[in-house]
Amino acid sequence: MIRKGKAIAMISGGLDSTLALALVLRQGIEVKAINFYTGFCITETQRRKGGRADGTVPQNEALRAAADLEVEIEYVDISGGPYLDMLVNPRYGYGQNANPCVDCRIFMMQKAREIMEREGADFVFTGEVLGQRPKSQRRDTLWLIEKRSGLEGRLLRPLSARLLPPTVPEQEGLVDRERLLDISGRSRLRQMALARELGLTDWPQPAGGCCFLTDEAFGRKFFDLLDGRQAAGEPRRLVPEDVVLLSTGRHFRISPKVKLIVGRTEVENVLLEKYADGRARLAARDVNGPVALVEGTPTWEERLLASRVVARYGKGRSDAEVVVEWREGDEVEAYAVPPEADEARIEAMRV
Amino acid sequence: MQPLPATLPAPDRTLDATGTLCPVPIVETAKAVKALAEGAVLLVLATDPGVATDMPMWCKAMRHEHLATFRDGATWKSYLRKRGRGAGR
Repeated sequence: MIRKGKAIAMISGGLDSTLALALVLRQGIEVKAINFYTGFCITETQRRKGGRADGTVPQNEALRAAADLEVEIEYVDISGGPYLDMLVNPRYGYGQNANPCVDCRIFMMQKAREIMEREGADFVFTGEVLGQRPKSQRRDTLWLIEKRSGLEGRLLRPLSARLLPPTVPEQEGLVDRERLLDISGRSRLRQMALARELGLTDWPQPAGGCCFLTDEAFGRKFFDLLDGRQAAGEPRRLVPEDVVLLSTGRHFRISPKVKLIVGRTEVENVLLEKYADGRARLAARDVNGPVALVEGTPTWEERLLASRVVARYGKGRSDAEVVVEWREGDEVEAYAVPPEADEARIEAMRV
Repeated sequence: MQPLPATLPAPDRTLDATGTLCPVPIVETAKAVKALAEGAVLLVLATDPGVATDMPMWCKAMRHEHLATFRDGATWKSYLRKRGRGAGR
């Protein structure tokens, strides 16, 4: 009798990874699903800020997929230092924005390999589809990722398997290659047909928009922060709290070494308060308005400018003068300034 | 959401995950459940509203019995009972 195999599934909960999961389960293989927490997930960030604009809280799709298919799932938190160092110095470079997709895949798959070894599993599989993404899912890139992650021969892509060389579990007969698929390209028609066939009805809209690193506005802030650190003579590095701040508030570049972050909502104001340590905390003193943080060591003129911008986003925006209070540790200063009225100047500073 | 049972069992352990953000409550729950005996009841306290959708789904995936998740003031309370490995398959 053929031994029953065990596999580690890397799932996002999107259509492709859910189908890959269903295909492998259908072959009677024991599966443990894993889902990576990078800190850059747009949905998680929305949840942290109290849900979507319409008040609904988005569900965690990886958990939903695992629950639907009754598969054990583990969250793997990779949001710390080594992941951030990879983002700043990607060996294979960035895509359109701050997205080093190839390096990120290698990073995740190295972790998946460790989990495979720990769990005594035979292979790892993903929902990747040959040619679906311009860079990270090209044939040569799929191979590169497999090799660099140390998963050579043990990384199965069930949706495209028949277009790729047979993996070890296929050669050993743990997986029946004939029951895997030969999907390639960007069209999702075959996946949708398969979902109907398998009775899967609930999946999130096709992916792509789920990672902040692929977002243009986020990418600008990401590189602006690194450039700012460099200008201030600091190392080009990110720490976990930078990640939270990058997705919070309006960002303004006051000067190469000085940045201003202004809260957009009550939840963001509360969040910014939490990160006031080591930064200057600004807020209008006598009228309601946002909480803002300043990073760097501003000159007198830069302090006035930052104060005017903060005044501009509060209830005192049409007043002749607003008192903006600066707190840095125990030090408190107040600046009486006219709210910045020059929209072009504000836009020029916006990151 | 499932209706609340009339009575809830006394928890064998209480995990305080208040103040942590998703996915930390689930990650901590997974660790806590691992250390529990089969059949033991865990009470999870959380302030991230995501727990209301995540906990029932996580329990279903892991085949633990989800007893209830509900709001109590500013805190969410979630009760679950640990199942034996492979139970219910």
